[in-house]
Amino acid sequence: MRIFDPHIHMTSRTTDDYQAMFDVGVRALVEPAFWLGQPRTNVGSFTDYFDALIGWERFRAAQFGIRHHCTIALNPKEANDPRCVDVLDVLPRYLAKDGVVAVGEVGYDSMTDAEDTAFARQLELALAHELPVLVHTPHRDKLAGTRRTLAVVRESGIAPERVVVDHLNEVTVGEVADSGCWMGFSIYPDTKMDEHRMVALLREYGTDRVLVNSAADWGRSDPLKTHRTGLAMLAAGFSESDVDKVLWDNPVAFYGQSGRLVLDPLPGFTASTDTFAGNSVLRGGRPDHAVTPGEER
Amino acid sequence: MSAIALGYGTNGFANHRLADAVAVLADLGYDGVALTLDHAHLDPFAADLTSQVNRVSRLLSRAGLRVVVETGARYLLDARHKHQPTLLSDDPTARVDLLRRALRIAHDLGAECVSFWSGSTPSTVDDATAWRRLRDGVAGLLDEAGRWDVPLALEPEPGMLVQHLAQALRLRDELGAPDLLGITLDVGHCVAVEPVDAAECVRLAGAVLRNVQLDDMRPGVHEHLEFGQGQLDLPATLAALAEVGYTGLAAVELPRHSHAAPVVAERAIHALRHAMPAAPAAAENPVRPTNNPAPATATAPPDRDAGPRPVRPPSPDEVDHPWLVAAEQRVRAEPEAIRVLFPAVGREVGRAALRPDSDPHGLVHGTVDDLARVRLLTVLATALPDDAAATEVTELYRYGDDAERRGVLRGLSALPERPALVEAGLTLVLDALRSNDIRLVAAAMGEFCAGHLDQHSWRHGVLKCLFVGVPLAAVARLDRRGDAELRRMVDDYAAERRAAGRDVPADALRLLGST
Repeated sequence: MRIFDPHIHMTSRTTDDYQAMFDVGVRALVEPAFWLGQPRTNVGSFTDYFDALIGWERFRAAQFGIRHHCTIALNPKEANDPRCVDVLDVLPRYLAKDGVVAVGEVGYDSMTDAEDTAFARQLELALAHELPVLVHTPHRDKLAGTRRTLAVVRESGIAPERVVVDHLNEVTVGEVADSGCWMGFSIYPDTKMDEHRMVALLREYGTDRVLVNSAADWGRSDPLKTHRTGLAMLAAGFSESDVDKVLWDNPVAFYGQSGRLVLDPLPGFTASTDTFAGNSVLRGGRPDHAVTPGEER
Repeated sequence: MSAIALGYGTNGFANHRLADAVAVLADLGYDGVALTLDHAHLDPFAADLTSQVNRVSRLLSRAGLRVVVETGARYLLDARHKHQPTLLSDDPTARVDLLRRALRIAHDLGAECVSFWSGSTPSTVDDATAWRRLRDGVAGLLDEAGRWDVPLALEPEPGMLVQHLAQALRLRDELGAPDLLGITLDVGHCVAVEPVDAAECVRLAGAVLRNVQLDDMRPGVHEHLEFGQGQLDLPATLAALAEVGYTGLAAVELPRHSHAAPVVAERAIHALRHAMPAAPAAAENPVRPTNNPAPATATAPPDRDAGPRPVRPPSPDEVDHPWLVAAEQRVRAEPEAIRVLFPAVGREVGRAALRPDSDPHGLVHGTVDDLARVRLLTVLATALPDDAAATEVTELYRYGDDAERRGVLRGLSALPERPALVEAGLTLVLDALRSNDIRLVAAAMGEFCAGHLDQHSWRHGVLKCLFVGVPLAAVARLDRRGDAELRRMVDDYAAERRAAGRDVPADALRLLGST
């Protein structure tokens, strides 16, 4: 199984996670810029984080044979903090970078005026930098938030096929499907979606314009949920090519619109992801890593 | 209305032997060359200058080409400072010497004039002093021009003391409007900086026009472009030349296009013929004998080796990647453009390791994008004063991703060794050596680091390479800088590895065996 996780926060994950992800077939991922759990208090806190996303985290992922990309934005929650809003002025510098494949996560948290302003401004940045957009939908008042999101996207003039609206569920998927935007689903252990409900939605809505992600972060989450969704699809009678479409071709098609995906295998790693009884078996082994980033701190 | 004689500047053929450039241009149907005296093309300081001049003279007459002499070579007099010294410098001796030599060479070649510019006002000199230095300098040269009976042609050059046609005409008036002082007009410059268009400039210069350079430009941007890429009205400009009865050479001036000179020269002459006013096209100009460039090339002795060429890693065809060449031009004209070009390098020229077989990650020799970024930095350093260049380089690193930071680190040794740049470079090297990204650590330990980093930090850098797995081949001048203290540190490191039952890296053993 070949997997591209289109939404995962690796900054919050360990090297064991990277290894386990590689072992089940993850070869590429996108790490959206988001909230750290602990609120930021100044712009410098964002830029250090962005620097890590375009440098250090990319390097860490490469040690495990995984191509790391990211999205850059002021997240909806912190768009409400006046100490953080000035980060909008530094975004253009980051949106020009290699491996920055979208503007995101943008959208709504509490649906405030400040969130409206930041959202609209970042949609303009996406248009100016010819980048797709990753939109987060709120946890609270989700359906209303999704509708408002779609209205703002429509007004912005950005093409719907360049927008993914994420964290959808049974209640919100329909309107997004009708809008022409891509549909993102985060598969979680307890909240959001689980893999079996995901399979049911795939049956109902098909596999076009669907992105399945683990959205794993510092909370209770599982970086292998993409893999588990693939297994659930196979168990439910989807073909291997359906699985490949949802877990690889679709994210490549969506983020490929940035023109900035790099997907060739990293030197020293095999592109092969052959699996046996659900576990990947690496053929011919993998050369020892010359590098252990954690060895010196 | 006469046809205008078309030439091409040899500074646009910097990667060709002069004999080959002449052959290509004659073959394309050009009527002449604007010959820039420079290291590779008739070095005016060559020991065997007389025989070289004779050879070039034969070469041109065999090809039937007319010639004007240009003196705008960038590093002919000062290897470190572009265009220095000038007539405005505290010590203009070298410039005066060059221009005097140029007049004599022009005489020997049968050239139609010697073109020159004023130079930029030095920061320590006020405008009145600069103007006086220029006037006195030109007055002195006029005597020499009289001696050889070769006209001088002053070229207004954007950014220099004389950058507008009106200033050049004023200087001429102040000197008593001597016959031997004319004007060189670059029609692209007119688009970039003059208050009126190129055709009007041609009319204003009128009878004192001695030399014309042809190229396109955009308003406000001093960047020599091919015809059609800027806002020059070429037909109107050529018509104005015909109208004022200009009989000199009008030579294409594209000094940044040497990488593709033959095709650029071909496109240029097509554009010119197309835009030419009525009458016979220059291609049928009867002064030129039948074209037979082959013997000229075959019989001309090979040009003297122009001295050591810049050492380049065995790279890529990408070295003259068209995107990179255009990016260099843009940085020259508009240094802050590097902020958007630097991040785009990998996407445009690729990211492959330069020597993938022995160095798959590019830790030792770098990557294609590293090489391209080094070139952009080199241009940046020539386009900005030191302090501004140091700030820009620091910002490129500060806001750079891993690849950009690597490019900055690898580029430090290509920057001029001046205090502001060295200080900035050291700060960046120390930052990179604090990181754990092996590509940054490897890039930090290059030539610049070897030349400037203090011994304590340098030793820790070497040890860090051993720790994180950077091959010591990436450390510049390891043999020269390695000392007993480094050996002690590596020895202790090896002992610690052995105590833990781990292998000692082969690089560490080699170093212990050799220091």
